[in-house]
Amino acid sequence: MDSTSDRSKKLETAIGICLLTILFLIAITILIKQSDYDMGRFGIEKAVGEPEPIKAKLLSLVPAGFEMLSEEVYLADNLFEKINGKAPLYIESGFEKLFTQRFINKENKDLWMELFVFDMAVLKNAFSVYSVQRRPNVQFLPDMQFGYRTGDAPYFVHGKYYIEFIASSKSDELFKAMMEVAHNIQTNLPVDKDTEIPELTLFPQDNLVADSPKLYLASAFGFEGFNNIFTAQYKLGDETITAFFSKRTDSKDAQLVSKSYYNFLLENGGEVKPATNKMLEGKVINFYDTTEIVSAAGPFVYGIHEAESQQSAEKIAITLLNKLGQGNK
Amino acid sequence: MTKSNDTNLGRRQFITRAGKAGISIAAAGSVSLLLYDVKGPPRHSVKTEEFVTLPDFSIPPIAGQNMSIVQGPDRKQTVTKAIELLGGIERFVKKGETVAIKPNVAFASPPMLGATAQPELVAEVVTLCYKAGAKQVVVTDNPINDPASCFTLSGVSKAASAAGAKVILPKLYHFKHTNLEGGKLIKNWPVFFGPFAYVDKLIGISPVKHHARAGASMSMKNWYGLLGGRRNIFHQDINTIIAELSMMVKPTLVILDGTEVMLTNGPTGGSVSDLKRVNTLIASCDMVAADSYGCTLLDLKPKDLPYLAKAQAAGAGTTNYEALEPILGTV
Repeated sequence: MDSTSDRSKKLETAIGICLLTILFLIAITILIKQSDYDMGRFGIEKAVGEPEPIKAKLLSLVPAGFEMLSEEVYLADNLFEKINGKAPLYIESGFEKLFTQRFINKENKDLWMELFVFDMAVLKNAFSVYSVQRRPNVQFLPDMQFGYRTGDAPYFVHGKYYIEFIASSKSDELFKAMMEVAHNIQTNLPVDKDTEIPELTLFPQDNLVADSPKLYLASAFGFEGFNNIFTAQYKLGDETITAFFSKRTDSKDAQLVSKSYYNFLLENGGEVKPATNKMLEGKVINFYDTTEIVSAAGPFVYGIHEAESQQSAEKIAITLLNKLGQGNK
Repeated sequence: MTKSNDTNLGRRQFITRAGKAGISIAAAGSVSLLLYDVKGPPRHSVKTEEFVTLPDFSIPPIAGQNMSIVQGPDRKQTVTKAIELLGGIERFVKKGETVAIKPNVAFASPPMLGATAQPELVAEVVTLCYKAGAKQVVVTDNPINDPASCFTLSGVSKAASAAGAKVILPKLYHFKHTNLEGGKLIKNWPVFFGPFAYVDKLIGISPVKHHARAGASMSMKNWYGLLGGRRNIFHQDINTIIAELSMMVKPTLVILDGTEVMLTNGPTGGSVSDLKRVNTLIASCDMVAADSYGCTLLDLKPKDLPYLAKAQAAGAGTTNYEALEPILGTV
């Protein structure tokens, strides 16, 4: 009995010493790490991203006469390091990852470009960041799903990716190289090409300004609860009218969102105005000499934003309402 | 039959064991108490480091000579004229002084896109400082994105160096912690201090840009580059942090470049289509006034940017730029 007791005591002591040693080592490690804590060092280290599908395709993207320079990967927690104050726009729109790659001309080192590939998780998110940043008076690229060019660079959506470039200068040679990269991406970067955005077909086609639809995934028109809002512009004579709609989960939610935005307008200086069309009675608001219309129909919230004339606003609103009614059938 | 030790536990043995357990608990508690830091963990690693305060670089105002607005397409000419209208560069830089210029070099972006201060403008201000007899001019900024790329691709390092300036890229040892008196956000926070510690004057140079979060990025927002750490957290309270920056930094002069303003997609832009040429350059001893005028170039009003009113309330300047009777010029 005594020898058993002695063995047990020795075993307990050994286990105890082991545990205390482990705890001591943990404590020392924590102390060392904490003593080196410095906020000033945060943000300098680069985030290490997972292997990118696009990385595997890099060599196939390089345009003729160019070579690759540095590449970078950013995630949501360090996206601000690359694009600073524009990061929230992407993050609020479902951003997952940014991959960037610089290319430089082998002969002329002043000619360089940087490719930005934003992985937005789904096509709808990619379309949103593409559409809200779209520049005015651009030339659309017919062979892209959604794409345009400005004087210096192309911008487009490729499946779940929103893609843009910055160019070192305005140069035909550089633009040609950027388009080559763009086409290489289209050819070599696999995406779900069958995906479409069905809501875009719900805008009436008459008087619609081509390629004007936009998607605001968050806080449309400065109203925090106004998300997932599609907008499009209509041209009536010299006037441009912005129509909008959002498909909610059900008619109850649509009524609720519509009412919230309606109240938001009234609380911020809007005044209810008599409607010419009885279907819009109580839904027209004079907002600092512009006309706002907001209402709900079935699962849709719809309306007109900042129209110059009430007559045009009501005309487009009714057209939109009819089309949404068809879309809901 | 065997019995466990516990069944044989005597009173003496029990008291001994209980005593040992008690001593162990007391010892562990004492060590915890000894290690407990009531003030919380320090945010800097060097224990002997003191909090720093950026020097006050401002100069005494002269009635009617605190702000100038010059129209013209050539930045070299407009900045020279704007400073001349305020009394000349000699008013701001004395012989033998060291001058720090803090341009906005936030992005690794070419000058054409207007996201950063224009190289020729920075170079011209460097040249003017040397003409006034400056002993040395340093040009520095703290972009979060790779500083070398930002300075190189923006063209600022090449132009500033060619004009004789010493370009300083941020290093870890340049950062010191500060506590802004009356500040809510800048508390025990690392700032880019090193290059400014021993200079006599400070000049800010920034373009007029749309900013997705703040509404506009101009003279005051330019000082965001002085913040270290994970400064993006301040984007949640952007108006307060910009106002606090105006309290923390007291520059000698700010130069606000509205020759080409970024109307959309700021602060990075990305296309020449985001820019609009308005051919206006502002020089001012009052950065709140400069920004209050600058925002009008973006079709905004000072009341559209809440940080301007906050900065005014904090005593950093006035949003009523007309009260300063800006001197107008054209070149």
